[in-house]
Amino acid sequence: MSTGSEDGVLRSILPPGRVNSVFGFCGQHAWTLLFVGGVLGALPPVFGLEEGYYMTVLSEMFLFGILALSWDIVGGQTGYPSFGNMAFFGIGAYTTAILVKDVGTAFPVAMVGAGLVAVVFAAIIGAAVLRLRGHYFAIATLGVLLAAQQVSRNLEITGGASGKILLDVPPGTAFYYLFLGLLVAEMAVVYYLSNTRFGFVLNAIRDDEEKATSMGFNTTYYKTAAWMLAALFTGAAGGGYSLFNTFINPQTAYNGAWNVELIAMALIGGSGTVFGPVIGAFGLHTIIEIVETAFVGWQLVLLGAAVIVTVIGFPEGLVGTLREYAGEMEYYKRGGMAATSTDDTEVATDE
Amino acid sequence: MAVTQFVVNGLLVGALFAAVAVGFALIWGVVDIINLAHGEMVMLGGYTAYWILSIATGTAEGSVLLFLATIPAVGGVLFVVGYGLQRTLVQRVIGTDIFLTLLVTFGISIAIQQLAIQAWTANPRSIQVSFADTSLSVAGVVVPKMKLVAFAGAIALTAAMYLFLQRTRTGRAIRAVSQNPEAAALVGIDVERTRAVTFGISSAIAGGAGAFIATILNIQPQMGLIYTLKSFIIVVFGGVGSIPGALVGGLLLGSVEELTAGLVSSQWTLAVSFTLLIVLLVVRPNGLFGEVAEP
Repeated sequence: MSTGSEDGVLRSILPPGRVNSVFGFCGQHAWTLLFVGGVLGALPPVFGLEEGYYMTVLSEMFLFGILALSWDIVGGQTGYPSFGNMAFFGIGAYTTAILVKDVGTAFPVAMVGAGLVAVVFAAIIGAAVLRLRGHYFAIATLGVLLAAQQVSRNLEITGGASGKILLDVPPGTAFYYLFLGLLVAEMAVVYYLSNTRFGFVLNAIRDDEEKATSMGFNTTYYKTAAWMLAALFTGAAGGGYSLFNTFINPQTAYNGAWNVELIAMALIGGSGTVFGPVIGAFGLHTIIEIVETAFVGWQLVLLGAAVIVTVIGFPEGLVGTLREYAGEMEYYKRGGMAATSTDDTEVATDE
Repeated sequence: MAVTQFVVNGLLVGALFAAVAVGFALIWGVVDIINLAHGEMVMLGGYTAYWILSIATGTAEGSVLLFLATIPAVGGVLFVVGYGLQRTLVQRVIGTDIFLTLLVTFGISIAIQQLAIQAWTANPRSIQVSFADTSLSVAGVVVPKMKLVAFAGAIALTAAMYLFLQRTRTGRAIRAVSQNPEAAALVGIDVERTRAVTFGISSAIAGGAGAFIATILNIQPQMGLIYTLKSFIIVVFGGVGSIPGALVGGLLLGSVEELTAGLVSSQWTLAVSFTLLIVLLVVRPNGLFGEVAEP
């Protein structure tokens, strides 16, 4: 994918073989790395990170990690790019808000409830929209998001356009661990699934759904299951968010800009991978947070620009691009350009 | 009687929706992408007319003729914007994954919208067109004159585009590219240029419709997405690539919205529209009139 002289410099500083061995190491010790990452993430509050700006930013980073990875289960692994994942988030957020404030349930119960309500909603909506493909699926999910937003705006129980204010909330540290725990759990689940039959079927659906069907897989079942799994984590994260934010209204719960943000995160990090979306979420959220502090109001302009540049420049994302780079040595050993490159382009145009 | 009034209102607004949707359908048919930044062209068109009038008169008010005189200028500006977007950004992702084309246009949409907020603030604005007598009444149905002008303008824009596609050489080239880009290239049509022109024309029509929308409703930087989605509803309803279908779809959507607003509550119009979108997609993904499109 790259030619030119600056490539030679890059190759001498960072040989593809070394990148490849890093990937190999990560692949072999993924469980250990995940465990170490989780422990490292849990340390800052123990060593004196006080509640405040930095803890909020870190919690939000974990939150976006959850959302981006959930999006990627359906968008990246299964190849159904949804523009409506925030509908699950909003439904989860409203469910906890209503359960905690109006019904008086304890917060942990309410959060589990949020996840379950989102899953039920996903099952019903999924049966309808997962039959669609391409443009139609993307727009239908966007329609689901906006319809859910409008319904919440008009109902009595959700507090209408002014939303709900939640005053009696747990301390910030609780949310820090909550989002961290959810993120680690989700990464473990996604990583585990990516090596099971279930994960392989999802990837097969992404690569060629007809072929997957003709091999005897009930693709609707797999798609709906993936969609519900994404809804479970997104809904639970939303359930945590409404109390974390102490305030929820249709605009924040069903935030269309966030939906693009989490797609951008998954894409920048590398969609279809386990660690990519999380890396993308941490990176992009840090950048957005810095821009938001330095130039208020410009963060969404940046988001739009970031999406355009990523899509045009390196649609494989960070992990995907690196993996391609790492595979370069293998590629030369197998005969270089003559053996692979032209074939690849032909296949691409045939589709 | 009230129902008749709602339907008339709906038809008047619906023609504008149709004019927006026609451009959306054109890009979909010819370039084979869903332009999620289409609503932003409506918004930019509204603002262009607003600023031209403001500079010409000092306030955003004027007579009908003065307002109509801004329309060609709006069309020209938006043509350049659309042509430029296709040539610089969208062209690079054509032929790749559908999802990437959607994301690029979504990125453009956000960037334009947010830049507009930075430049012009998020306050809604509108163009005041002065009449001696603001509305006329036919058999008990009240029709504001400006809505009638907007209706006529929207129909004129749609008809102009239809004639352009049918009668001119460029129009034929556009239709050829929409049918088969490779064959079109074989007979000597510059496919990339034709696509860019298509983008330009579509944006120009959307911009013209946006200028009319600024006179009867209002404009604000974040209005775009709703118009994009309405266009999508209309095109799905009327069938991809069918201009008469889009016109009927627009008029129907306008009527449904006004009836919902009149009989239930104006808060529910958008919820009804989006639910209609999902139901339509699931039940009739090929549209009611359209040629069979790949679902």
